[in-house]
Amino acid sequence: MIVFWIAVGVMSAAVAGFILRRAARAAAAGGDADSTLPLYQRQLSEIEDLADRGLIAADERRSAHAEAARRLLSAAESAGPAWTVSATSRPVLVGLAVIGPVAALGLYLGFGSPGYGDQPYAQRLDQWRAAPPTQLDAPRMAAVLRSVTAERPANPEPYRFLAIAEMASGDAPAAARALREALRLAPERADLWESLGEALMMAAEGEVTPQAAAAFQRALERDPKAATARFHLARGQIEAGEIEAGLAQWRALLADLPAADPRRAVLQAAITDVAAGPRQPAPPADPAIGAPEIAAMVEGLAARLAADPDDAQGWVRLVRSYAVMGDAARRDAALTQAKARYADNPQILRELAQAAAAEPMR
Amino acid sequence: MIVEIGAFALILSLILSVLQTGASALARVRRAPVLAAVGEGAAIAAFFALAVSFAALIYAFVVSDFSVANVATNSHSAKPLLYRVGGAWGSHEGSMLMWCLALTGFGALLAGYGRGLSAGLKAVAVATQGSLGIAFLAYTVFASNPFWRLTDPPVEGRSLNPLLQDPALILHPPFLYVGYVGLSVVFSLAIAALVEGRADAAWARWVRPWTLAAWSALTVGITLGAFWAYYELGWGGWWFWDPVENASFMPWLIATALLHSAVVTERRGALPGWTIFLALGGYTFSMLGAFLVRSGVLTSVHAFAVDPTRGVLLLTILGVTAGLGFALFAWRAPAMARGGLFAPISRESALVLNNILLAAATATVLLGTLYPLIREAIAGEAISVGPPYFNLTFTPLMFILLLLLPAGPLLAWKRADAGVALQRLWIAALLAAVAAVATLALAQPRSLFGAAGLALGVWLIVGSATEVAERIRLFRAPRGEVLRRLGGLPRGTWGMTLAHAGLGIFVLGAVFETTWKAETSEVLAIGQRLEVAGYVVALEDVAPVQGPNYEAEQATLRAFAPDGTLACMARPERRLYSAGGQTTSEVAICTRGLSHLYMVLGERRVGADGGPVWLVTGYWNPWALLIFLGPGLMALGGVVSLSDRRLRLAAGRRAAQPAAPERAPEPAGEPA
Repeated sequence: MIVFWIAVGVMSAAVAGFILRRAARAAAAGGDADSTLPLYQRQLSEIEDLADRGLIAADERRSAHAEAARRLLSAAESAGPAWTVSATSRPVLVGLAVIGPVAALGLYLGFGSPGYGDQPYAQRLDQWRAAPPTQLDAPRMAAVLRSVTAERPANPEPYRFLAIAEMASGDAPAAARALREALRLAPERADLWESLGEALMMAAEGEVTPQAAAAFQRALERDPKAATARFHLARGQIEAGEIEAGLAQWRALLADLPAADPRRAVLQAAITDVAAGPRQPAPPADPAIGAPEIAAMVEGLAARLAADPDDAQGWVRLVRSYAVMGDAARRDAALTQAKARYADNPQILRELAQAAAAEPMR
Repeated sequence: MIVEIGAFALILSLILSVLQTGASALARVRRAPVLAAVGEGAAIAAFFALAVSFAALIYAFVVSDFSVANVATNSHSAKPLLYRVGGAWGSHEGSMLMWCLALTGFGALLAGYGRGLSAGLKAVAVATQGSLGIAFLAYTVFASNPFWRLTDPPVEGRSLNPLLQDPALILHPPFLYVGYVGLSVVFSLAIAALVEGRADAAWARWVRPWTLAAWSALTVGITLGAFWAYYELGWGGWWFWDPVENASFMPWLIATALLHSAVVTERRGALPGWTIFLALGGYTFSMLGAFLVRSGVLTSVHAFAVDPTRGVLLLTILGVTAGLGFALFAWRAPAMARGGLFAPISRESALVLNNILLAAATATVLLGTLYPLIREAIAGEAISVGPPYFNLTFTPLMFILLLLLPAGPLLAWKRADAGVALQRLWIAALLAAVAAVATLALAQPRSLFGAAGLALGVWLIVGSATEVAERIRLFRAPRGEVLRRLGGLPRGTWGMTLAHAGLGIFVLGAVFETTWKAETSEVLAIGQRLEVAGYVVALEDVAPVQGPNYEAEQATLRAFAPDGTLACMARPERRLYSAGGQTTSEVAICTRGLSHLYMVLGERRVGADGGPVWLVTGYWNPWALLIFLGPGLMALGGVVSLSDRRLRLAAGRRAAQPAAPERAPEPAGEPA
């Protein structure tokens, strides 16, 4: 803090001193004559110079010279009275030089954050590292672990913890990045592959992407019993329409899980749910999204399809949206249009019929 | 602590600008050199205070101090050092600070080096420059302070827009701002001329170096921006008549016109009113650009601040500054002396024609830029004015201008013989005609526009060289004489020739590229290939790459020339910046002579067989290099011209006393 005030003092003094020094020099130099005249004189001499070197012709030299001379004369006539040093009193000058820094300080005290020290990232990181881990929230924990991984780049464990912290702070891609690093160091650990698959899945908002599926496969290659990998791979199958195969996997997994495993209940519920039949479209997950927003999104989809109708899944979604919104007229209109377009594609026709049968939202 | 020192120094700079304006204005009224010295001292001190402030902001970015709101919003601890430094001017607040730094920097230069100016002119110019500083510094301090702190700093910053994390874009704003703000000095000098009622040759000679410096920086800045758009945005183009591009192009056009009209005022004392008008217009267009890109009326990578309050404030600054300037012009300009007379065919007339065409071109660009905004405000419908409008309006004007350009420097002052000038250009005309015929005969597909444009480029380059050849009497005088004359040519002449030839080179590149570019876009699996303009591009591999703050897919492309030899290995990337979740494409450019083979890796898709495929686009951009080399040469011409002894004498040397001999002292050891 004291350093700040010293810096402010030094700057203020330097500014005041500099201004006063220039004023003193100007006072010593006396009045300034009009410096336009020498410039015209120089212009005249330049014309001579160019002519001497043969760069302008003789007649041009004469006329240019005459004109510059005329300008010199008229400038000499029109020059105003010279500036002269009047006795600007010393206290006034000192006052002018001092008032600047003082006013700046006043404004700063009103608008700045006096006493608020710097918060460099490195310094804050040291504080977090010194703090007990239980007091840190997930993003701070992740920052600490990131620095730990930098210090111990050959150890996969810090990367695994980092991934957990990143996941907890909602940054799934960063978690996946950390797990990739961990796997570079320990490629044979099935649990890391499972975690990577989950992180990639989270990054894709829950969808079992090909990349996530590949990670789960790698986990299974190393540990055929890896429960998480088996669960999600089967889920991916179910979502892709291979419901029977997926359910069979889940049932096999349920049989393998020990009786005391708390995951059994969740898995059992999932199996019952899927076995009961085609799943209904989930109600809007976020209550903040109300009907007007949904209507707007559906309108956007309809407009896009009108412009670029070659999108089978888009039509399925549009039909389902109208059905869910309870707009039977537009549902049927869209359904007719889409059916005509995909008349020779039984798979799409089936999906369209399913979509049209979706229950309206209450 | 350092951050707070920066915050204090920023406010100190504002107060010093107030002192600068007050003391200089009072000095003019009381004809008091001591007060003028106080004003000048304050101007120089304001710059140093702001330099401290700017250094403090860079420090905050380098150490990632996220308690500074601006750093938290625009930086990230994992960002490479260069881009952390560049982040200091990659944001709205930081770039306004840089604008102010340039503004006070030019004020300090004016105060420190303005010795050749008459005391009254200088005092008014310093006061005006100070008041421009007050407006922008007050805006920065009160409405867009880069040192605003957060009581609860976030763990991580939100990072700089990844499109801006690019070396060209680190340099683009500083150059552009030096250019924009350099025109503020010209504005201040124009106000001073109006107040003093004096816009004579001495004044015009003073305007020239500042305009040249600003113009050169603006040329480099705009070229860097175009170059960045070319290789970073990945759409194969370099100029799209986007309102943001136009915002930087209009001050450039005005500065170009001003450079030429100031020559007339300096040499002949003519056109003082017009020169002042352009001098006021240059900075007005700079401020208009600042308003357009910062008010949120435009959507682009530049529109950092979608904040209506800031937009209104900037519009107020623009309105008040330009309004007062032009009101003063309307009041005082009619009383200005007319200056030297000239015949309809003369160097002066050629420069007037240049100015008319450039002003008309600026007006068309202004209309094309503002019309959509006005239309949207009044009728509420969004329209866009694109290349077709500019091709029909701007291009013909430029065609006429460039057609007449080589004749201008060959005309004599006051009264000239057009026939003689045209006769001297017969070689240029012949070569241009040969170029046109050859282009029509050889280039496929045949294009009249391409042939005409190519002829124009050759006409400009050879025409510029003709002027030098005439002055040194090439092939007409003995070799010793020619060499002597060559050595004696003023640097201003070299600068002009370089700039005009650079323009010709640019025209060649622009015409060739737009007429004969080729593009092929195909979905490729590993091992597949596409063909563009005879080149075969094979996709060999796509591998993940881990960058410092991004993840990427990097393709390995093998490009074969039409004769079957390997042209180059190219590695375009598609990057995902996890901090902001944005995707950018990193183009691979393979330079073949003057042309570019330009390759873009698109997004990954699933192919028909379920395997991964990528959208790969190859562009063949013939002579694209010239598009950027030409303006580079133009800027170099500006710098060479700026180094001319005559300008330096006016700018840097203490004026000789009136009693001194007629010939001013020559700098020792310098060739005459």
